[in-house]
Amino acid sequence: MKRYVPAAIIVLSGVGALLGLSLGAPQRPKPSFYVGSRVCMPCHGGKRGCDQYSLWRLSKHAKAYAALSLPESFEVAEISGVDVPPRESPICLGCHATASTAEPWQLDPTFHREDGVQCEVCHGPASNHVEAMRAGKPTSTSMLPIPRQQDCVVCHRLKDSHRKALDSGQFDYKTGLQEISHTGSQLVMRPSAPTRPTETRPYLVGVSVCAQCHSEVETGAQFAMWMRSAHANAYATLGTSQAWDAAAKVGIQGNPQANLLCLRCHAAGFGEQVWSSGDSFEIEDGVQCESCHGPGSEYSKEAIMRDKQTAVAAALEIPDEKTCLRCHNGQCPLPSQQFDFGAATNLITHPRKSLKPPSVSVEYKTPFNLVLSRDGRRAYVACEGSNSLVIVDLESHKVVGEVEVGRQPHGVCLNPAETIAYVTNRSSDTVSVVDLATNKVTGTIAVGDEPHGIMTDVSGDTLYVGNGATQDVSVIDAQSAKEVKRLSAARGAWGVERSPDGKFVYVTNNLSHFVPFRTTSMSEVTVIDTQTRNVVNRIRVPETNLVQGVAFSPDGEFALVTMLRTKNVVPMTRVIQGWVITNGLAIIWKNGRVDEVLLDEPNSYFADPTDVVITPDGKYAYVTGGGIDAVAVVDLPKLLGILRNASEEERVNLIPNHLGIPTEFVVRRIPTGSNPRGLVVSPDGKFVYVAAALDDDVTIIDTNKQEVVGSIDLGGAKEITQTRFGERLFHDADITFQRQFSCHSCHPDGNVDGLTYDIEPDGLGVNPVDNRTLRGIHDTPPFKWSGKNPSLSRQCGARLAVFFTRVDPFTPEELAALDRYVTTIPRPPNRYQRPEGLTPAQSRGKAFFERTITNGGRPIPPEGRCVTCHPAPYYTSLQKFDVGTKSWLDTDGAFDVPHLNNIYEAAPYLHDGRAETLEEIWTRYNPKDQHGVVNDMTKDQLNDLIEYLRSL
Amino acid sequence: MNRKGGHLLGMAALMLMATACFSDEPPGAVPVAPSGVGGQGSGVGYPFVYENWEVFTTENTKGRLPNDHIFALKADGPRVWIGTEDGLACYEDGKFKSWNKKDGLPWQVITGIDVSPLTGDVWLALFGGGLCRFSGGRFEHFHQLNSGLVNDVVYGVAVQDHTIWAATTAGVSSYDTVTGEWTIYTEKNAPMEEIWCYNVRYNDGKVFVAVWGGGILEWDVKLKRWRAHVDPDGEMEIDLYRDDGLIHIITTAASYESGILWASTYFGVSRYDGRHWRGYMDHDSGLVSTFVNSINSRDQEGWACTDKGLSAMVDFPTDTWVTYKKNEKGNDGTAIVSRGKQVIKTVPTKGAIPNNFMIYVEFHGDDVWAGTSKGLARGIGRGRWVGVRAEELAKPAEAPQQGGSEAK
Repeated sequence: MKRYVPAAIIVLSGVGALLGLSLGAPQRPKPSFYVGSRVCMPCHGGKRGCDQYSLWRLSKHAKAYAALSLPESFEVAEISGVDVPPRESPICLGCHATASTAEPWQLDPTFHREDGVQCEVCHGPASNHVEAMRAGKPTSTSMLPIPRQQDCVVCHRLKDSHRKALDSGQFDYKTGLQEISHTGSQLVMRPSAPTRPTETRPYLVGVSVCAQCHSEVETGAQFAMWMRSAHANAYATLGTSQAWDAAAKVGIQGNPQANLLCLRCHAAGFGEQVWSSGDSFEIEDGVQCESCHGPGSEYSKEAIMRDKQTAVAAALEIPDEKTCLRCHNGQCPLPSQQFDFGAATNLITHPRKSLKPPSVSVEYKTPFNLVLSRDGRRAYVACEGSNSLVIVDLESHKVVGEVEVGRQPHGVCLNPAETIAYVTNRSSDTVSVVDLATNKVTGTIAVGDEPHGIMTDVSGDTLYVGNGATQDVSVIDAQSAKEVKRLSAARGAWGVERSPDGKFVYVTNNLSHFVPFRTTSMSEVTVIDTQTRNVVNRIRVPETNLVQGVAFSPDGEFALVTMLRTKNVVPMTRVIQGWVITNGLAIIWKNGRVDEVLLDEPNSYFADPTDVVITPDGKYAYVTGGGIDAVAVVDLPKLLGILRNASEEERVNLIPNHLGIPTEFVVRRIPTGSNPRGLVVSPDGKFVYVAAALDDDVTIIDTNKQEVVGSIDLGGAKEITQTRFGERLFHDADITFQRQFSCHSCHPDGNVDGLTYDIEPDGLGVNPVDNRTLRGIHDTPPFKWSGKNPSLSRQCGARLAVFFTRVDPFTPEELAALDRYVTTIPRPPNRYQRPEGLTPAQSRGKAFFERTITNGGRPIPPEGRCVTCHPAPYYTSLQKFDVGTKSWLDTDGAFDVPHLNNIYEAAPYLHDGRAETLEEIWTRYNPKDQHGVVNDMTKDQLNDLIEYLRSL
Repeated sequence: MNRKGGHLLGMAALMLMATACFSDEPPGAVPVAPSGVGGQGSGVGYPFVYENWEVFTTENTKGRLPNDHIFALKADGPRVWIGTEDGLACYEDGKFKSWNKKDGLPWQVITGIDVSPLTGDVWLALFGGGLCRFSGGRFEHFHQLNSGLVNDVVYGVAVQDHTIWAATTAGVSSYDTVTGEWTIYTEKNAPMEEIWCYNVRYNDGKVFVAVWGGGILEWDVKLKRWRAHVDPDGEMEIDLYRDDGLIHIITTAASYESGILWASTYFGVSRYDGRHWRGYMDHDSGLVSTFVNSINSRDQEGWACTDKGLSAMVDFPTDTWVTYKKNEKGNDGTAIVSRGKQVIKTVPTKGAIPNNFMIYVEFHGDDVWAGTSKGLARGIGRGRWVGVRAEELAKPAEAPQQGGSEAK
C-alpha cells in the first residue's frame, strides 16, 4: 500500500533539500576549551622583549587564586555575606580564577585553577587558537579577542568590600594596562628544557600536589604564601629581558630558561642532582617545595606526611642554612639583596599558625523561636546565630545544653513523647532531629528551600514544614524521617500551627499573592487536613502581607495571625495616619471569615508583629513587636466583643484601618529585649517566654502582673560588634516616624516583600519600583533601579530619612553599622546548583546565555547577549541599560542592571515588578529583543535558559 | 501526509463533532438482537451489563452541570470531576458543584483532568488556556507565557508522583512540582513523528502519550526512556498485517491497567499485553465503530468511546463485548452483548448514555461515567461482576443506587 503524499510536499521537500545542500546549516563556531596559561608559554614566553608568560607569572594576576587563602580574603568574604571559604565561593572565584563558570568538560587537563587569573580570562578559551597555531593555520576565527576596558572593569572596579578590608584604591585602567602590557610580534618557540633522567625514584611531583593539603588558612595558607614569594617567580624571572641581559654578561648565551646553570637555582630538580619528574610536575612553578625538601614521590602521600619521622624516612629533607646557601650564595648575576638566613626563614617559615581573622569568632545566639515541654520545665530555643538548639531549665533559668544543628535554625517543635526536638535550618534546607535524651542530632531530613515553621500532627507521625523559598509545605513521615510529599503553599510559607482538635494545620505565608498592578495585596493562610494530609482550604487575608505568626484560640473557634497592611498602592508621602504600613492581627474564624484589627496607636505604631500566642484560658493574646522591642497584650474578649458589635461595613472597611480602636483591646505593651521574635506561653498560663533575637536572651513575662520578671541569658557574645549594631538598627522601628516600620518590614529575612512601591523623590504617581533583595548585594552598586546611589551609605543615608523614614537621618556611626550589616546578609545556598555540576538543561541554557549567534546563524551584537550585561560573578555589568521596559509611568527607560545570583527567590521581576515569573520577562515584555535577543528561541530553549539562570 | 491538514482534521473531529447536534441514532447502527437470545458461545457465560443509567444535563441539573459537552472525567474518592466546554463540575453525594471563569477558573474549556494521589490537587488541561492546579479552592494558572509549558492547547494531563504531564498541540510538557523544572518533549528528544499530542495517562511507572499521527509513546519513569508504539505495516488506509502492532498511528488516547495497554485510534482499538498486540475494528469485533475518541480501562476491560456508542471489551479470553447505545426514540437504551462480532444478547437499559457520540468514560467504584456530546450519564454498577459468568444475565436492578439518583 502506498502512502498519500501530496505532490506539493514532494516538490517542497526537494526544494528544501536543495536549499539545504546549497546553503547548508548556519556555520557554528567549534567550541573552544580552556587550556591554561602554561600552554601559552611555548609561544608567548622566553623571548627577550616578548616575555609575555613571564610578565604574567610575575604579576598579581597569577597569584589571584592563591590570595584567596589569605586572612584578608576571609575578611572580604565576611563583610560580603559570603559564608563559605573564599576559595569555594563562586563570587570570589569569579575574579580570582580563570574559567570559574566553565563546566568540567570545558577544561583541558592542562588547565590549573591554582594559576589564578590567566591569559584566558581576558582572551577567552584558547584551544581552537592553540590548535590552529600549532597546525600553522591561523585564521581570523582562531585569533583570540583583545579585551576592552569594560571587560577589565567587571573585576577591576573599586569594590567596597576590598576597600574596607584591603584599603585598595581606585583602579586606573591606563596604569593597569601599562603594567601588564605584553604586546609583541617576534614570537618564537621556547627551547626545550634540559632533559631529565626517566623512571627513577624518587621523582618530583610538583607544588600542586603539596597544595592539596597545604592551602588551608588554618594551617597557615602555605601554598598561598609560597605563590606570592620570589621562589614561585624564579623560573619566570629567567624569561625577562633583565635575566637575558644578566645571563649574557656572564657568558650564558640564549635562553636562560633552557640553561642548566640558571635552572639549577631557578627551577626545582636541577640542583646538584637532576631529578626525574612525574606528570604533575611543572617546571614553570620555579623554586618549589621540592627544591628544599627533595623529590616528593615517596613522602608526599598524606598518610606519610602525617608522621614526620616516616616522611623523613621516605626522603623528606629538612632544609637548613646549607640548603639555602646552595643558591643564595651571591653567584647569580641578577641583582639581589644580601642573603640573611634568619630573615629569610622568618619570611617563609612553615607550618604557621592559623591565619584566620579573629572577627569571625564573635558568635551571637540570635534566638528565633522556642518551644516548651508540657511540664513547663524546659525550653528549647532555636538560635539562628549560633546554629544551635539551646536547652534551658526554666526553674533555674540556666542553659543546660546546646546542640549544634544546621545553618540558621528557625523553627522548633517537639514530638508528643517529648523525646525528640525537630529544628528547621533555614540555610541548610533541612530539619535536624535532636534526641533529647542524649542531646545529639540523630538525623537530618532534607526539605524544601528555606524552611521556617514546623509542627507535628497529634500522633507525632507526621511533620509539617513551611518552606519559604519553594513556597510549599514538606510533609514528613516521622518514623522513616523522610519527606513523603510536598504541598503547594502560597508565597513564602512561614508559620505552622495545629488546631486544638488536631484536625487542621494552618500555614501562614509571608508574601502576598501576585496581584494586578496598583491593587492591594492578598495573602493566604493555607489549611491542611491532617487526616488526608492535603490542602483543603486557602483562606484569603486581604490587603495584608508578612503574615507570619499564628495561634489558635483554645476552643478552636478562631486563629490569630500577625500581619502588615502595607499601603504600597499610594505614594509613600501619606505617612500620617498609617498610610505607609500599619500592623496588626487577622482573626481567621472557623468558618473561613477573616477580620483584621490593628495593634498600632496614632503616635506609636506596633511595627513588625511577628508571632502570637494565646493563654490557655483564652483571655489574652501576646504578640511580639519585632520592630519596637515590645509584646502587646490583647484582651481577647474585648476584641471579640468589638467585632461582634460592629456592623459588616465597620468590620470590613473601618476597623482594619482604625488606629484608635486598638486602645480598647490592647491592654498593655510590655518592653522586651531587642527584636522579640517567637514566643510561647507556659502550660499553666502564668508566664510568657519571648525570644529576644538581638539580645541573645529569653524575656520572661508574668501574665498576672503583665510585666517582665526576668530574662534568661542564652550565652551569646557580649561584645556588640559594628555588624550587630547595624543588625539592631535594621530591625528597629525607631528609625521611622512614629515607629511605623523598620528596614526589616520591607526586607524580611533580608530579602524582598514582593511589592511595588511609589516613592516620592521620582515624582508622585510615576516611576513605580519593585522592591529588591538585600542578600549578597555588597559590591553590586549602583543601588536603586534608577542607579542613582553609588553606595549603600548613600542609599541608606539622608534620602532614606527624607523619603522613607521621615525622621532624623542616621548618625555616621549608625549609617556605617547599618551599611556593614546589610552587606553581610548572606545569600542562601542556591538550591539549583548541584555539587556535580550543571544539569543537562542548565548546561544547554548556559550556551544560550553566552551565545553570539541566533538559531538562524545571525550574529547577535554584544548588547543583545545575556552575558554582556550580566557577566559573572555577580552577573551584572553595574551599568544602566534600556531593555525596552519603559512604561507610561516611567520618566526614564534606562535601569540598573540587577545581579542574577539566586534570582529565583526574588520575584517579581523587572523594575516595576511586572513580570511574575522569569519566563514572563521574555514571553511578555521583550517583544523587540531589547532585553537580549531571544525571540528566535524555541520554548524548550527558553526553558533551558531559565534553568541556567536559576542556577546562578 | 499533510501534517497541518491532519491536525485540522483531528481538531475538527473532536471539537466540531462534539459541539454539533447529533441525531440520537446515527445511521449504520449495529442491529440489536432480540432480548434474551444467546449467540455463539453463549454457554461460556455472560458479562455484567449496566442496565440502569442516570443522565445529567445542564437542563435537568438546572445549570449545575455547566455544559453538556463533556470532555473529561476523573473519579477522586467520593467525587467525580467533570470537565466541560464551559467550566469544571464536581459530583459528590448526589450534588453538583461547578466553577467557571467568574469563580477564578482561568479558562472555560477543560479537556483533561487528573488528581494527584499525593497531594489531592486537581490538575486541569485547558484547551487553549494551558494548565491549572485547583488546590484548596484556589486556581493556579500555568501557561506558555508565565511558565515553561510548551503550548496552551492542552488536550490531556496526567499526574505522576510529583510530576505533571501535559499533552499539548506542540509536544509534551512535564513539570516537576518540587524542583519547578519544566521539560519539553518533541521530535527533538523523543521518538515523536508528530508533536500533536491528544492524551497522556500515567499508571504503574509508565506514562503513555497518544500522538496524533505518531502512535503511542511510552515513558519509563525509572529508566527515563521513551519507547514508541507505531503501526509496523505503516499503512494509513488498512490494517495490512493484523495484530502486528498498533492498529493505526492516528491515536486519540491510551490507558494502562493491570499490565494491559489499550490504545484508541480513529481506525479502531488496540490491546497490548506486553508481548502480543490485538487489534479491533467494527467489522471483526464487538466494537461499534472504528472512530474512537478515547479509551479507558478497568482491570482487564477496555472501554472505547466511539462516535456510535460506548463499546466495552469486558472479557478478553472469550472476546466478549458490551456496547451501550441510546435508543433512537425515548431516553432509554440498549446494551448489545456480543462475542466477537456475533451478538449473543441485547438488553434494554433504563436510561442510557445521553448521546451516542461518546467522548470520555471513567470508572467510579462499580459505576461507570459516560461523557458525551450531549450530557453526562452514570451507569449504576450495583452487583457488578468481572469477566463472564456461567449463569444467565442478572436481572435488571430494581432501583438506582442510593444517593445518586438525581441531581439535587
